[in-house]
Amino acid sequence: MAKAITVKQLKRQENTAGYLFASPWLIGLIVLGIFPILMSLYISFTNYNMISTMRFIGFENYRILFTNDNLFWKSLGNTVYHVAIAVPLSIVVGLALAFLLNNKVKGMSIYRTLFYLPNVVSVVAMTLLWMWLFQPNFGLINQILKPLYDLFGMEPIGWYLDQNLSKITLILMGLWTSGGSMVIYLAQMQDIPTTLYESAEIDGAGWWQKTIHITLPLMTPSIYFNFIMGLIGGFQVFTMAYIMTSGGPSRSTYYYAYYLFDKMMADNAMGMASAMAWILLIIVLIVTILALRLNKYVFYLGEES
Amino acid sequence: MKKLTAFLLAAIACFSLIACQPAENERITIDFWHMAPVGTAAFAPTKAIITAFNESQDLYTVKGTGFSFWDYWDKINIAVSSQTAPDLGLSTLDDVASRAEEGVLYNLSELLAADPTGFDVNQFYTNQLEFATYDGDLYALPFTATTRVLYYNLDMFAAVGLTAADIPTTWTELYDVAKQLDIVDDGVIQQLGFDPTYGNATYHGWLWEAGLDFFDTAGNPTLNTQAHLDILNWIKDFNSEYTRNQLVAFGDANTMLGINPFASGRVAMMVETDGLYQTIREADVDFEYGVTTIPIPDENGVRVNWGSGFSIELYDNNDGNTAARQGAWEFLKYIMSEEVQIELATINGWLMAHKGAMATVAADDPITARLVEEVEYARDKIYIPYAPSWHGNDWQPYYTQFLAGEITAEQCLQNARNNYLQKQENYNATH
Repeated sequence: MAKAITVKQLKRQENTAGYLFASPWLIGLIVLGIFPILMSLYISFTNYNMISTMRFIGFENYRILFTNDNLFWKSLGNTVYHVAIAVPLSIVVGLALAFLLNNKVKGMSIYRTLFYLPNVVSVVAMTLLWMWLFQPNFGLINQILKPLYDLFGMEPIGWYLDQNLSKITLILMGLWTSGGSMVIYLAQMQDIPTTLYESAEIDGAGWWQKTIHITLPLMTPSIYFNFIMGLIGGFQVFTMAYIMTSGGPSRSTYYYAYYLFDKMMADNAMGMASAMAWILLIIVLIVTILALRLNKYVFYLGEES
Repeated sequence: MKKLTAFLLAAIACFSLIACQPAENERITIDFWHMAPVGTAAFAPTKAIITAFNESQDLYTVKGTGFSFWDYWDKINIAVSSQTAPDLGLSTLDDVASRAEEGVLYNLSELLAADPTGFDVNQFYTNQLEFATYDGDLYALPFTATTRVLYYNLDMFAAVGLTAADIPTTWTELYDVAKQLDIVDDGVIQQLGFDPTYGNATYHGWLWEAGLDFFDTAGNPTLNTQAHLDILNWIKDFNSEYTRNQLVAFGDANTMLGINPFASGRVAMMVETDGLYQTIREADVDFEYGVTTIPIPDENGVRVNWGSGFSIELYDNNDGNTAARQGAWEFLKYIMSEEVQIELATINGWLMAHKGAMATVAADDPITARLVEEVEYARDKIYIPYAPSWHGNDWQPYYTQFLAGEITAEQCLQNARNNYLQKQENYNATH
C-alpha cells in the first residue's frame, strides 16, 4: 500500500524543488551580489587602500565627505544639474520622436531603425565621434554655424571646452540615444485603442485635443517608467565626461561617479569611495521614493478608477 | 583471502604514500606577471626569455602571465591585496616605498646578502635604486627607465640661419631661439618655436630645474613662494604675444592631426620622453633632429628631468613559501642580467635600467646615447600618500584654468595648495 503524502509534505517537496531550480540564480545573487554589496558597506567604515589591512574608523569617511570635502559637493552639484536637465529633456525628445515615427509613412521602419541605431553604438565610440563634431575650432557643428557667427559677430561657441556650456553639451550629446526611450513610447502609443480616437473625432476633437486628452494620459506609464530609469541612470553619469572632458574644464563636468572613481583609482581611498557609493545609493533611493509618489498621476489603461 | 586483501591494501597504501611525495626532479613553479600579453609584439620575445631561463636550470619553472598595460594595475593591486600576488611582477618605481611599508614586498637586501653569486646592484642607476629603497633596504630593482629631453628640429634651425651651436641651454637662450623659429601667417600660427606646456613639459619639471618642488621633505605642500609664482608666470608668458585663441587653434590642429606636434614638423623644439624617439623612427620623418638636456634657469639651474620607470619586485603573500621566493630571486637575477636587458631594450625599444646593457645598445646610436646620458639626471616624482595623483588629477584642473586665463597665478597656486592641505587633513584623520 502506497504511503499517503500530506498536503504539507507536498508543499515542502515543491518548495525544495523550487529552491533547487532557483539555486543557480540564488547562489549567484548571494555570492556575486549581496556579499560585495555588504562588503562595500563595511569597507565604507574603514580606511582601506586596496593593499594594506583595512582599519575600522567608524563614520569618519562620511563625516569628511559631508563636512570637509569641497569636491564632494561640487561633483554632487554637477550631477544634480545633469539629472535636472537631462531627464526631462530626454523624455521630451523621446516623446517627440515617438510622435514623429507613429505615422504611416513609406519606409517608416527604416526611420525607426535609424533613430534607434545610436543605442547599439558603444558609448566610447559615440563620445569620440561627438568630440569631433563639437570641436570648437574644427568641428562640423561650428562649421555649419559659422555663417551665423559671422552674421552676429559672435565668437564660435566653445561647447565642451567652455565651462559654462560643457554640461549642456554633454546633455545634448546624450540626447542622441533618445531612440531607446522612443521605442518604449512608440510601443505604448500603438497600444492605445483606436476606438478612443474615433469617439473623440466624432465629438469633433482635433489632433491637439486627441494628443492632450488621449495620447499623453495613456502614455503616462511609459513616461513614468523612463522618468524613474532616467533618474537612476542620471545620477551615475560618468563615461561621457571621462572620455570627452576628463571632468573639465574647471571641473564643470566632474560628476559624482567620476569623483568616486578617482577616489578609488587615483587616491587609493577605497573606504572613502565605498562611502560615496552608499551615499549615492541613499540619494537615488530618496529621489526614487519621491518620484514614486507621482504614481497617482499615472493612468493605466483598463484600471478601475 | 584475508591475507590477500591485507596485502592489496598495504600495497595501495604504499603506492599512495609514494605518489604523495614530490618527485626528486619536480620543479617549483614561479609566477611572473608582465605587460606583454598574447597578441602584442613583445609577447613572443618575452616568452622566449622565460623559456630560456626554464631551460637553463632544472629547479624552477617560470610561468609568465601577460596583461595589457591598462588591465595590469587593477589585477596586481587586487592580487597583492588578497595575498594571491605572483611571485614576482612589474610595478611602478615611484611608489615602491608604499608597498614596502605595507609589508607586501620581500626585502631584497636580505636576499642579496645571502646570495653566493655576488649580484651587484651597482650595475643599475643610483637615482633609480634610491626609489626602490625603503628604510635603508632594497625592496625592488629598477626594470626600465624613462627620461625627458629637449627634441630639436635642425632643419627648422637651418631655415632661420641657426646651427647646432645655437641649441639652447638656458631659459633665456630657449626663449631667444624659440622666437626666431615662430612662423605666423595671416594671424594663424603655422609653426611654433617652443611652448613650455607642450609634450611632457610639466610645471613640476620646471620647478625642479629651479631647485623648487610641490612639497617639502616632510610631504607638506609648498607652492606658496614668489619663486613658484614666477615660474608659473614664465610658463604662461612664454608665448604671450599670441592670443589665447591663436594658441588654442594651433594646439587643436595638432590634436586633430593625431601625431605628435614635433614629429609632424609643427613645433621646432619640444620636451618629450624617450618614447618620442621610437615614434619618430617609426614615422620615418624626413627632417634632421637631435636631443639635448632640457634648458635650465640662467642662475642656479639644476640639471634634472622627470624620469620614471617600472620596478620589478618579489611579492610576499605571507605564506612562508621560501622556495618560491628563492626561485623568484633567481629569475629576477636572470632577467636583470646584462644579456637579457640588452635583449629587452632591443625588442621593445625601451631604456632599460641596466647601465652596461644600455651602453651596449647605445654604442652605435648617438640619440639613444644622449637619452641614456640623461637618465643619470632623471628624478622620479615622490609618492605623497594623501595625494598619490598630486601631479595629475589634483593639479591639472587648476593649471588648465590658469593657462586658459580664468584664474591668476596666485589663485591657481593658492587653490591647489588648499586642495592638498584639505586632502592631507582628511588623510591624517583616517590613518
